[in-house]
Amino acid sequence: MKKLIAAFIVMLLASFTLAGSLFAEDAAEIMKKSHLAYYYSADDGVAEVKMTIVDKKGKERIREFTMLRLDESDGGAQKYYTYFRKPSDVSRLTFMVHKNPDATDARWIYVPAIDLVKPISADDKNSSFVGSDFSYEDVSGRHWSEDTHSVVKDSTIDGASVLVIKSIPLEPYKGFARKLTFVDQTSYLPLREEYYDKKDKLRRIFRAEKVEEIDGILTVTARSMQNVKKNRKSTIVFSSISYNQGLTSDLFSERYLKNPPRKFIK
Amino acid sequence: MRKIILILLFAAVASFSPAMAAVDLDGFMQTLFGGRLDESNPTASEYTVAESRMQLRAEHFGDGGEFFGRLDFVYDGSLEPTYNWELREGYFKFRVGDDIDIKVGRQILTWGTGDLLFINDMFAKDYRSFFVGRDDQYLKAPQDAIRFEYYNPIGSWTLVWSPRFEPNRLPTGENLSFYNPMAGMFIGTGMGGEVPLPESKFENSEIALRLSRQVGNFNSSAYFYKGFYKNPTGMHAVDFPTGPDTIPYYPELNVFGASIRGMLMGGILWLEGGYYDSHDDPDNDNPLVPNSSIKGLFGFERQIAENLTANIQWQADMLTDYETYEMQQTMFGGYVRDEVNHLLTSRVTKLLNSELIQLSGFLFYSPSEEDMYARFSVTYNYTDEITLTTGGNIFDGKNPATDFGQFRLNDNIYAKMTYGF
Repeated sequence: MKKLIAAFIVMLLASFTLAGSLFAEDAAEIMKKSHLAYYYSADDGVAEVKMTIVDKKGKERIREFTMLRLDESDGGAQKYYTYFRKPSDVSRLTFMVHKNPDATDARWIYVPAIDLVKPISADDKNSSFVGSDFSYEDVSGRHWSEDTHSVVKDSTIDGASVLVIKSIPLEPYKGFARKLTFVDQTSYLPLREEYYDKKDKLRRIFRAEKVEEIDGILTVTARSMQNVKKNRKSTIVFSSISYNQGLTSDLFSERYLKNPPRKFIK
Repeated sequence: MRKIILILLFAAVASFSPAMAAVDLDGFMQTLFGGRLDESNPTASEYTVAESRMQLRAEHFGDGGEFFGRLDFVYDGSLEPTYNWELREGYFKFRVGDDIDIKVGRQILTWGTGDLLFINDMFAKDYRSFFVGRDDQYLKAPQDAIRFEYYNPIGSWTLVWSPRFEPNRLPTGENLSFYNPMAGMFIGTGMGGEVPLPESKFENSEIALRLSRQVGNFNSSAYFYKGFYKNPTGMHAVDFPTGPDTIPYYPELNVFGASIRGMLMGGILWLEGGYYDSHDDPDNDNPLVPNSSIKGLFGFERQIAENLTANIQWQADMLTDYETYEMQQTMFGGYVRDEVNHLLTSRVTKLLNSELIQLSGFLFYSPSEEDMYARFSVTYNYTDEITLTTGGNIFDGKNPATDFGQFRLNDNIYAKMTYGF
């Protein structure tokens, strides 16, 4: 019994020290690690994605697509390729984003039924991604340097120790006025995010619903975004995830926008 | 002998069946009704469109390449009930080496920068579909072609060879009327008649070439086309037993052009130009054949508010030898256009209710021709499978001989329901 108490005290102390050291860590540094762990896992990735959008009446919409991602540098430029499968009216449509943290993203869409390649004006990173509660920015990430961060407290989510970090945009921003991110202390993955508006009302809640280890990389394989104001929720579930597939930059060009790379998109 | 062939066929089918199992099949069913708004329209039917359509799409791919087919079955009840089918697409796509993509068969082709304005895109359009509310994909008529795409450090080269000339599909007077300046009246009896295609031979095939290259944020392209005017804009003098007369035909045409498109000022900007070399009238002295012209286009699009996107375009079309043209037209008592025709367009798209409702409007207006064409539609994605659309097409023109003026009796509204599977 004494041993048990001793062990308990040691563990308690250890966890305090750990938390303490994390507290000491710069909040911006934690957000950077979190950003890299969540948006930049491995050098590239391929996944099948199923998105379910449930409106306030409980009506479901399903979007299915294949997604390819290539990182040019960690925390830097990225390229995304999306091949839509469902619903039927957008099947085979492809969509490409060249994300550049220092400039406006470049986006293209290809509509195979009319063989049309069209660049899309992408001024608003905050607009909804395919009608869901996720914005484009939620999908590709908001750079940590655009906000100031501070550690609020430590807490737990489903038994996992998290640090709660408050982020305030450096410049007035439509997406949120204040954001709380619950960062897992070991994996640095964001397990929960709360988005507050100018009136400090809670607008959206992000949840990492499921975390799995894929090719040795901890990955949020199911995530949801609850729109508190609209009483809607969108869930994204990833399957068949594979990392480091040797994707090359040329796959993210007009050639492949028109001719989906069948090696990765069956 | 027959038995052997049958057995061989059977064996071939049997050996293919594992592959057949991997063919993806999807498509949609659609009902579309449209009615004319102008009772004075002389068309044979009050319905601009009344049809039920099923589109089947089949896709199969293996290591060697991929096959895609898109087949439409249509019941048309607007006039005498008829059943039609059309192979919209049926092609095989494969790669040669690392740098060449080839697409062979019936296909839909598009290039250029304009939004519903086409300078260097000389692929066939279907205005019969465009004016009555069929889906956007029907604006393009399919053509039989081979497309070669070659990628090298200079840029991407595309060559499209169409062995048989494919014309635009224009109103025939059955469901949509048009003005015939020779007859001086609106034709609505289906008497528009078939214009003979250029003879089917190698030298009458169409060639379209594009070289495309990314320059910084901009995509720049150069184009060349050798073929024919896609509309029967020329007249042949013919000696009929009843006396000399003229019949319409497709005059030869070469187009040289260039375009540039890219991101600027939070939006997309595009510029395109082309020289239409009227091959059958090199000296611009034949009044029965269109004169050469120069076309230029400027466009800009951006999101102006949440879920609201707008664009504007300005197109100018200048005749290279206006004096001759003016003299000819005055002599024949025909409509005399301006030396430079200006055309302004604007598209506005608003998404509502988490993109489930789309409001769209598109306006063409020409201050030189004093004519206009407005398209508007509301689309509601009722479920992932069911889409409801309603919309309309409004034409007007001071003079019936202008591009949109000739269709000014065709104002219509339509309703459409689509089930995707």
